[in-house]
Amino acid sequence: MTQMATQSTRPNARPARDPRADICRGLALWMIVINHTPGNALGGFTLKNFAFADATEAFVLLAGYAGAFAYAGLADRQGWAPAAASLVSRIGKLYVAHIFLLVVFTAQVGFSAATLDRATYLDELALDPFAEQPYRTLLEALLLRFQPHFLDILPLYMVVLALLVPALLLRGRPWLLLALSVGLWAAVRALDVNLPRWQGGGWFFNPLAWQLLFFAGFFMGQAARSAPSLGLPPRRWWLLGAALVLLGFSGFVLVSIEHFPAWSQHLPPWLPGLLVDVDKTSLHPLRLISILALAYLIGHVVPRDAALLSHRGMRVFGLMGRHSLPVFCFGILLSFMARLMLEESDGPAMQLAVNLVCFCALVFVAALSGWTREQGPVRNPVLPLPAGGR
Amino acid sequence: MAMHRLSLLLLLLAPGLALAQACDVPADAASQARPLPAVARAADAGTLNILILGSASVTGPGATGPDSSWPARLQTLLAERIPGLRVEVAVRGGRGVTVGDHLALLREGLAREAPALVLWQAGTVEAVRGMDPDEMADLMRQGFERIRRVGADLILVDQQYSRFLRANANIEPYRDKLRFLAAAAAAPIFRRYDLMQHWVETGAVDLERVPRAERPAATDRLNDCLARALAELILQGVAEAR
Repeated sequence: MTQMATQSTRPNARPARDPRADICRGLALWMIVINHTPGNALGGFTLKNFAFADATEAFVLLAGYAGAFAYAGLADRQGWAPAAASLVSRIGKLYVAHIFLLVVFTAQVGFSAATLDRATYLDELALDPFAEQPYRTLLEALLLRFQPHFLDILPLYMVVLALLVPALLLRGRPWLLLALSVGLWAAVRALDVNLPRWQGGGWFFNPLAWQLLFFAGFFMGQAARSAPSLGLPPRRWWLLGAALVLLGFSGFVLVSIEHFPAWSQHLPPWLPGLLVDVDKTSLHPLRLISILALAYLIGHVVPRDAALLSHRGMRVFGLMGRHSLPVFCFGILLSFMARLMLEESDGPAMQLAVNLVCFCALVFVAALSGWTREQGPVRNPVLPLPAGGR
Repeated sequence: MAMHRLSLLLLLLAPGLALAQACDVPADAASQARPLPAVARAADAGTLNILILGSASVTGPGATGPDSSWPARLQTLLAERIPGLRVEVAVRGGRGVTVGDHLALLREGLAREAPALVLWQAGTVEAVRGMDPDEMADLMRQGFERIRRVGADLILVDQQYSRFLRANANIEPYRDKLRFLAAAAAAPIFRRYDLMQHWVETGAVDLERVPRAERPAATDRLNDCLARALAELILQGVAEAR
C-alpha cells in the first residue's frame, strides 16, 4: 500500500512521454507485422520500400529511447542495482516470449507443409531442421544459435538490453558511452565479428553492431528527460536540407530499381554497385544515417504539440507505442496466422480481412494492456495459508 | 466436371493454343531487356553456347521428362526462333546447390563450354538456409567478374513464386539483393517470381493448387512458359545489341 501511495504522489517526477516517439513506435510495430507477412499488399508501402531503413531500425532506435525513460530513470531514482534487476527480468520475459514464438513458428511450418502438399518443383525443401534433428535443433534454439526465419528481432533486442546493464553505470558520461558504442560498432564491422549461428555464419541482425542504434535512441531519450546526454543536433536549415536530400534520393533510387527497371538502366552502374554493399546485418552506415536523418526531420519538423498528433487515427498508434512489448509479441504471433491466411489466398478479400484483423487485434492488445496498467500493479494472489502459517 | 474434362482434353490436343493463352507476359511483369553483344555475335557465327547455373529448378524436377525442363525448352525455342542456329545448353547445379558451389561450377563451365551467355539462377537455397545475403552478393560478384573477363553475357534469374516458400522463408532480402546485383552488373534480371505470381493470379499455371495427377503436365506447361519469356528476353537483347 505504501508503494502505491508513493507512486501516486509523484507521477510528475517522471517527464511526460513524447507523443511523437510513441506514435512512431506504434507505426513501426504495425509495419513489422506487415513486413513479417510476405504477400501482404501493404508490404509495398512500408518504410523499407522508400528508405535504407525500415521498421526494425525505427523499433530499435525507439526501444533505446524508451529504455532511457524506463531504466535510466529507475537507476536515477533508486540506484543501479534495481534498474539492472528490472532489465534482467525484462530480458527473461523476452526470452520466454521468444521460445514460445519459436514453438508456434515450428507448428506453422509443419502445418503449411502438410496442407499445401508442397510441390516437388521447389528448389529447396530443408526448411524445417526440427524434422531432421529435433533434439539438436531445440538445444540450438534455446542457445539462440538457431533462429528461424522472421524470429530474429527479439534475440537482437535481448542482447542489446543486456548491454544496457553495464552501460547504465556510464549514463552520467554520455561521451564515453558514445565512444564505446561507436567503437564497438566500428570494430565489429571492420573485423567482421558476429554472434554465431548453428548452421554457420552469424545472426541476421548483429546485436554488437545494432547496439549503436539502440544507444543513439538512449541518448535521445536521456536528452528528452533532461538527463546528461547528447541529443539530436539543433535545428539547422542545412542539416534539414541534407536529411531531405539523402532520404529523397535514396527513395528515388529504391523505387526506380524496383518498379521502373527501364529508368534504372540510366543510373550509373556504380550507384547500384554501392547499394549492393549496404548490409543490414551489421548496420551499414547508410542505414544508420538514414534512420537518424528521419528522426532528425521528425524531431524538428513535427512540433511536439502538433494538432495532427492528437488526431484519433494517430492516437491509436500512440497507444500501440506505449505498450510495445505486448503489441510486438502479439504482432509476431498474428503474423503467423496472417501468413497462413495469405498462403491460402492472397486475393483482395483476404488482403482486406488479414489487415483488418491484424490492425484491430494490435489496437485491442494495446488497449487491454493500457487498461490493466491503469488498474494498478497486479498483486500475486496470496493463497490462503493454513492457520498459524502467518 | 464434364466441362472440366473437355477443357483438359482440349488442352492436351492443342497445346499450342492453350500455351498462347497461358503465357501472357504483362508489361509490368516483363523483365527489362539489355543489349547482349556476345549472344548477338554468337548468333551471327551460327553457334550459341549457354551455361545455366542454378539450384533444383534447372534440372526440371516434377516435369514429364528431361526434355521438358526449362533449359531444354529454351534450347529448342531459341533454335526455332533463329533458323540455322545451333544452340548448346550446359546445365550445372541441382537441389541444394548454393552460389558458393556455383562459383566452382562456373569456373569449370566457362573453361569447358566457352559460353556466350551465362544464365545464373540464385537466391532460393540461400534464403531457405538463411545464408547472409551480403555473402551471397560477394560470391556472385566474383562470378560476374569471371564472366566479364571471358566476354560472355549474363542474365540473372530470380526465385520461383511459391506461397509455401513465401510464408516459411524470408526471401525478400535476397530478391532485393539480386535486383541491385543485376543493376550493378548492367545485366538483365529475369523476374521469374513476378511472372509466376502473375500466372498464378490469372489462373494460367498454379503448381501448388493443381491436383497431384495433373502436376507433371502443369510443370511442363510452366517450364515452357518460362522458357518462352526467357527466349523473348534474349532475343530482345540480341536486337538491342545490333
